[in-house]
Parts: sequence; structure tokens; C-alpha cells
Amino acid sequence: MTFRIKYIVYAAAVALLIALPQIITVKYYLHLSILALIWVIMAQGQNLIQGYTGYVSIVGAGFMGIGAISTALMGIHFDLPVWLTIILAPCVTALFALAAGYPSLRVKGHYFAIVTLAFNLVIFIVLMHWASLTQGEAGITGIPKPAGRDFIVNFRDREVYYYFVFIVAALATTLAALLVRSRVGKTMMAIKQNEDLVGAIGVAAWKYKLFAFVISAMYAGLAGAIYAHYQSFINPEIFGVAQSLDAILAVIVGGSGTIPGPVIGAFVVVFLPEYLRFDDSFRLILYGLMLVLLTIFMPRGIVGVTQDLWAGLRSKR
Amino acid sequence: MIEFFQQIINGLAIGGIYVLIALGLTTVFGILGIAHFAHGSVSMFGGYLTFVLVSVQGFPLLLAILVAIVVGLGLGVLIELLAYRPVRKASHINAFIVALGLTMMVEGINLELFGHEQVVIPTNMSHVFNIGGVTIPELRLYAIIAAVGLIIAMTIFVAKTKTGQAIRAVAENRDAAILMGVNVNTIPLVVFAISTALGVCAGVRVGSLLAIAPGQGEGLVVIGFAALILGGLGSIPGAVVGGMVLGVTEALAAGYISSAYKDVIAFAVMILVLLVRPEGLLGKAR
Repeated sequence: MTFRIKYIVYAAAVALLIALPQIITVKYYLHLSILALIWVIMAQGQNLIQGYTGYVSIVGAGFMGIGAISTALMGIHFDLPVWLTIILAPCVTALFALAAGYPSLRVKGHYFAIVTLAFNLVIFIVLMHWASLTQGEAGITGIPKPAGRDFIVNFRDREVYYYFVFIVAALATTLAALLVRSRVGKTMMAIKQNEDLVGAIGVAAWKYKLFAFVISAMYAGLAGAIYAHYQSFINPEIFGVAQSLDAILAVIVGGSGTIPGPVIGAFVVVFLPEYLRFDDSFRLILYGLMLVLLTIFMPRGIVGVTQDLWAGLRSKR
Repeated sequence: MIEFFQQIINGLAIGGIYVLIALGLTTVFGILGIAHFAHGSVSMFGGYLTFVLVSVQGFPLLLAILVAIVVGLGLGVLIELLAYRPVRKASHINAFIVALGLTMMVEGINLELFGHEQVVIPTNMSHVFNIGGVTIPELRLYAIIAAVGLIIAMTIFVAKTKTGQAIRAVAENRDAAILMGVNVNTIPLVVFAISTALGVCAGVRVGSLLAIAPGQGEGLVVIGFAALILGGLGSIPGAVVGGMVLGVTEALAAGYISSAYKDVIAFAVMILVLLVRPEGLLGKAR
């Protein structure tokens, strides 16, 4: 796509997302749109490690859980203001990611994926069983919304929360775009293409891998924190492996290694199940089949297919 | 002390399951370089199938296991042909994502066909051996013996037979194997068939010793991979050692610490080994 048309498309997408709450009449769709925007943050993080660095991490949901629980607990136990806990939650997640990433990144490729998945299982088991901390299956209730009653905007209003999440998602996407254009981002992409070569020219690849892993965890932690304050209730049950797989699916569907990809993927992953109202087991089969077929026939996702179509149209002219 | 030995015996019985899962994974990984994540769910399919054959269709246990193994062989061939072959030339990430998709599909199919209830394959072996205060149920003993038999059979197959030789040749150097006249298109089929059949055996063991429940396949495959990482990637002895270490650790953890956290402790062992010896206990230094 040419430079100019690309930015026109981006501007149109942003305008559409800003206008969305005014267009949507059904409250439920507004709720789904908020979830989709939260998933944009999640998927952008997943894309940094999976799409750009080439390491499939399956611990996204676990880190989302850590972010969600830590923001809730800091609010409850230390009486910290909500804004502060939302900012602190990704930092707490980053600490866990550092501890998890260091041993995980000692293995490559598939085995990295498996080790991160083991971490997701561990986080899940601990969140479910450490009831004195997380209330276990009962879940934590009464997580406050940001800001107080005295402010002009009321975050209890869904529309306001939508714009709040929109701003955060837009910032997260911009940050990801800046990051992949930076020298660090280029190194991450080089690691994806040929890690040995990166090592051979004297770059400590592990530092960049760890950085990408921790940043992606911070995105997940942020998404979790925003989710927790939106729902006012969290049950650790949702932070299982299935959610991490959804994040991977979002990146693949949208277009891995692209900035618009995760945005599209996030909306697909949140809205698709609503249109395909099957029971859980059938949904699993369908999602799995989608993942297999997409990887075989459309490995570059929706963004890749659009780019190909566009290039095809232009060359015909 | 008797308690300790009892836990060790329990650990060996559970470890046998992990070894069988890890064996299937290690052959696929060592030879084709694919992390066959759907292996656990496919194995559970085998276990469910045996359960249905025995308790609904009234097959005798051994016949049911045999039928399930044959189905497993076919299933392995199908999985290779339809799912992994199309992405063989693409990057490794693609094969792994296909594996994740397959896992979701097989888990969904298991739920559709066999429901949400947990099932136990009925066996009428209730005799319990007692050796110096340590009790071994008949079933566990046979399970341990069967696992040992399968490990030996697998080792002999890979080391001695012509097909085994061809498999090793492909694993060693694919291009050279082609030049030597090895049909590299059938080898992956054989590997997947054997691996899936081993998985079915593991599924039957899970079904008769423990119980099969939805989602268990995913948990098992992660432990199977943990066993591989622990023992050393792509080697049969590594898979055996890794599986047994995890099984015994888990049993001891469940007996002395907490059964809720037994998986956490097994993974902690894996992560510790990774920190000290990234190539695994029996792996070659890289």
C-alpha cells in the first residue's frame, strides 16, 4: 500500500472507533467493544513477542491475571488510588515476567512456548488455590472504577470507560509502532529471522528477547488491570491457557508482525463468538480449525491478504 | 520409610504415563522437529475410545485396547497428512500454531463425542500385592510392566529394524537420506502413526489408573514436554528419565507437601534444571 493511502485507512479506523459509541445503539455491543479494545492492548503485547521476535509465548492470560489481581489487591490492602494501581500493575507483572523469562528464554522455538505454557499453568493453579490471597474460585468483588465522584467524567458510565480504554489502546498501539521502528525493534525482527546471525555480529540476543518478553507481559498486565476495573469483579478461572491461545489466535488472524493486525484480530476474537453462538465444544473445534486453516492458507492474516489484494489491484491498473 | 517407598511406587506408576507421552513426543520432535502439542488430547481420545468400547460396546479390555491402537495408527497418519504436511516447509512457528489449533479441535471433538463427565475405564483387576508393607495394586504393576515393555520395543524398533534405521537416517540428515533411497514422504507417516499409538497406550493407562476428564490432555502434554526438556530433547533415554523424575517428584510432592500444588512443583523442577543444565539431564552439551 502506498504511504498516503495507508494513513488514510488508519485515520478512518481511528475516526470509526471514536464515533463507535454514538453509532452503537445496543448497550451489549458497547460492552463487547470495550472488551475488544482491552484485547487490542493484549494482542499488541502478544504481537511484540510472537509476531516481531518470533517466540510464541503462551503465558499471556497468566500475566493478564497477575495484572488484574495485583491492581485489585493493591487497592484493597494498601488503599492506593485506582490510577496508581493501574500504572503499578504492569510493573508488578514485569517483575514476574523477568523471573519467568530468564529461564524460559534459555530454550528456543517450540520449547520456549511449552515452558511459558507451564508458567501459565503454574500461575493459574496458584491463583485458583491461594484462596487467602485471591479468594480462589469465588473471585474478588467490588473492585472500584477509576476517578472519584467529584470529577467531571464518571467512569461508571460505559461510554466514558469506552473512551478511556480507547485512549489506552491507542497509546499502546502507538508505543508498539514506535518500538518496532526503533533500533531495539529492528534487533527483535532480526532475532526472528536469524538468531544465530544476531549473536554472530556481537549482539546479546537474550537481552532483546527478555526485553520483548517483559514488555509483552506488561501489555498483558495493563490489559488485565483495565479489565479488572471495568468488570469490578475478577475470577481467576478466566486466566487459563485457553485465553492465552485466544491471544495467539488474535495475532494470527489479524496479521502477525504488523501493527494493524492485532487491532483487527482483537475485534475478531471478541465479536466472532457472539455471532457464532455454538456451545463451547463446537466453538473449540471451529476455532481450532480456523487456526489450522489460517496458518496453512493465510499465514499473514487479514492484513497480509489485504496487502496482496491491494498490490494485485494496483499492478493490473 | 514405608510411606516413602509407597510414594515412590505411586510415582513410578504415574511416571510411566509421562514416559509414554514423552516417548511419542520425542520421536516426533527428534525426527521431524515438530512440537506435536495435540499429542495429549489425541491420547485422551484413545483413552475415551477404549472406555466406550469396553463399557458401552462390551468389548473385552485387551481387544478394546487393540482396536484403539489401530485407530490411533490411522489417526496419526491423518494428522500428519492433513495438518502438518502442508506447513512442512514453512517456519517452525507455523507448525506449532497448527499444533495448537489441532489441540483445540481434538479437545472439542472429545467434548462433543464423550461429554464433560470424567470416565474411568473399568478393569476387574482389584488384587493388591503386598511387599514388605508396601502395597502395589495389580493394575499398577501391570501398567509399569507394560510401559517397560513398550519402551524396550520402541528402542529395539528404532535401533534394529530397517524402518527404524530409515527413521534415524532422516533425523540425522534428510538430504543424505533421500540420496540413499529412503522415502522421506512415508517416514513422517510412520513416525506419527507410532507416536499416536504410543499416545493411545498412555491414554488407556490414564483411563484405567486415574480418570479421563476434559482438558487433561493439555495438562499431560505439557508434563510430557517438561519430561523431554528435563531429560534432554529428542532422545528416548532422556524421555524415560525425565518422565520418571517428574512422576516421582509429583508423587512425593503430593504425599508430603500438597496435592493441589503437585504440578507447580513438577514444573519448578523443570525450571531449575533449565537454569543449571539447559540441555537437560541426559542431553548433549550444545
